[in-house]
Amino acid sequence: MRFAFTDDQLAFADAVRELLADQCDAARVRAAWDGDGRVPGLWDRLAEMGVLGMLAPEGTGGLGMADVDLVAILAEGGRAAIPDPLAATAAVAVPTIRDHAQSDDAERWLAEISAGTARVGVGLSGNVGVLHAADAAIFLLEADDGLHLVDADVVELQPLDSVDGARRLSAVTWTPSAATRLPSAELAASQARDRAAVATAAELCGLADTMLAMTVAYVSERRQFGVPIGSFQAVKHQLADALVELEFAKPLVWRAALSRSTGDPSASMHASMAKAAASDAAHTVGLAALQCHGAIGYTVECDLHLWLKRSWALRAQDGDAAAHRRLVEAALLG
Amino acid sequence: MNVVVCVKQIPDPADPGALDPESKTLKRDGKLILDESDSYGVEMALQLAGDSGEVTLVSMAPNGEVSGLRTALAMGAAKAVLVSDDALKGSDALTTAKVLAKAIERAGSYDLILAATESSDGYTGTVPEQIAEVLGLPSVTFAKAVTIDGTTVKVDRQTEAGYDEVTCPLPALVSVTAGVVEPRYPSFKGIMAAKSKPVDQVTVADLGLDAANVGWAGAGQEIIEVAQAEARQAGEVIEDDGEAFNRVVGFLSDLKII
Repeated sequence: MRFAFTDDQLAFADAVRELLADQCDAARVRAAWDGDGRVPGLWDRLAEMGVLGMLAPEGTGGLGMADVDLVAILAEGGRAAIPDPLAATAAVAVPTIRDHAQSDDAERWLAEISAGTARVGVGLSGNVGVLHAADAAIFLLEADDGLHLVDADVVELQPLDSVDGARRLSAVTWTPSAATRLPSAELAASQARDRAAVATAAELCGLADTMLAMTVAYVSERRQFGVPIGSFQAVKHQLADALVELEFAKPLVWRAALSRSTGDPSASMHASMAKAAASDAAHTVGLAALQCHGAIGYTVECDLHLWLKRSWALRAQDGDAAAHRRLVEAALLG
Repeated sequence: MNVVVCVKQIPDPADPGALDPESKTLKRDGKLILDESDSYGVEMALQLAGDSGEVTLVSMAPNGEVSGLRTALAMGAAKAVLVSDDALKGSDALTTAKVLAKAIERAGSYDLILAATESSDGYTGTVPEQIAEVLGLPSVTFAKAVTIDGTTVKVDRQTEAGYDEVTCPLPALVSVTAGVVEPRYPSFKGIMAAKSKPVDQVTVADLGLDAANVGWAGAGQEIIEVAQAEARQAGEVIEDDGEAFNRVVGFLSDLKII
């Protein structure tokens, strides 16, 4: 079995990486802290490229692709610390609406989401608030009886603070009803949580890639005792360990996306393995990056700070490592 | 209208380039990418060709390399002619122009040929004009705006002082600057479609050229020595006594930036 991305999947990820390198650099991520938490114009470009509707059927303006086609792109989103809700939209909302909404709703919302003309807010249990809820025309919100598709005009929003200044979070208050409940609401909620865990895991891998790259660049330049500090074993071993942990996490994330695409009965457990490993790896990389940067890494003026704060937010989002390890344990041991 | 765009596939500038010590030329063994300076010509061509016309790419590259061409095809170009032949190693600018001119003739009918002003890796900045001369076409260089008006092309030609408004009959060759348009990003549909677009890969013989007249054999120049570029000098530090801006203005003025 060949376990690697196809040429097309790599080409899609390359195209997104190039777009984000141009349009979502550190200065724009920083500007999102002070602005509305978005990079101006980026959402339209992602829609034009085909990213938002990648998992939507072709008849609704999408590309009819699978989770595994998208996962490397989500990692690119993480690499650029994209503040827009790419993962929640493309990787969670689109396939959930595709698979579980009534056909009229699905057709309408998938077309609008794919074209970038309608935004969707995703509120899953266990998460603090909904990202960019103020822009959303439609919500996927989880209640005790499963997932609901809710119009924006029947929800109330209360802004929340986030550790990451680029994230615009809101608490969403609403009243679940039979009219808003999706036909297979519990299955929809469970699949959405799994997809969200994998998508966030992919973003964490990308974030960690950048934090490591920033740190390697920094320790290659920063000199002490007449040599770059990266030449000291205490520094390079720390970064090598971080890299190993990150590279060991990535295959779990790719596999989890593949399992979802192929309908593997263990897809849910694979999602938990991916999120646990990626959260841990991002933690290890973040600690090493912060220590190797010295005190400057703590300051908001240092770009590392922006990536680090995002990784802290995403490690806790969609279930932290401990929660997912418990899910893996339950799946394996019963 | 049909537009031909000359594009160069170059080693990725993100990777450190290396010279082949024997030939003293840039190593081009690995994957090549579309020269960014050519993406402006491709975008301009796509806009000028519109829905009724067609954009054809013409390129010369070693080892049948098509990665850069696929990028331009993903942007929307319809087809490509690639000249790839070991005999072309060491070709000088004039030989390159002659080869590309033959490839352009093979590409079919055209109204306009676009090229970058120069490539980003190894360049002389003369190939576009030489192609025009070989094909017997008028050429306009350093275009910062291009519009078509019936059977003529109107070009705003960048100069040191501003720009000239140039009109020239079609068909013609125009070299465009980096500011001419903003290149589009390839869409996923474009990337998938590019795989099935035709790339006509040809050799020197296919173009009716003699291998003895191209490459090192046909080059009218020889690379005798390669030397390190001079290290960058330390900058000038100006103490601001309240009038330092005059020095900055003078400095920029000397460089003709303002």
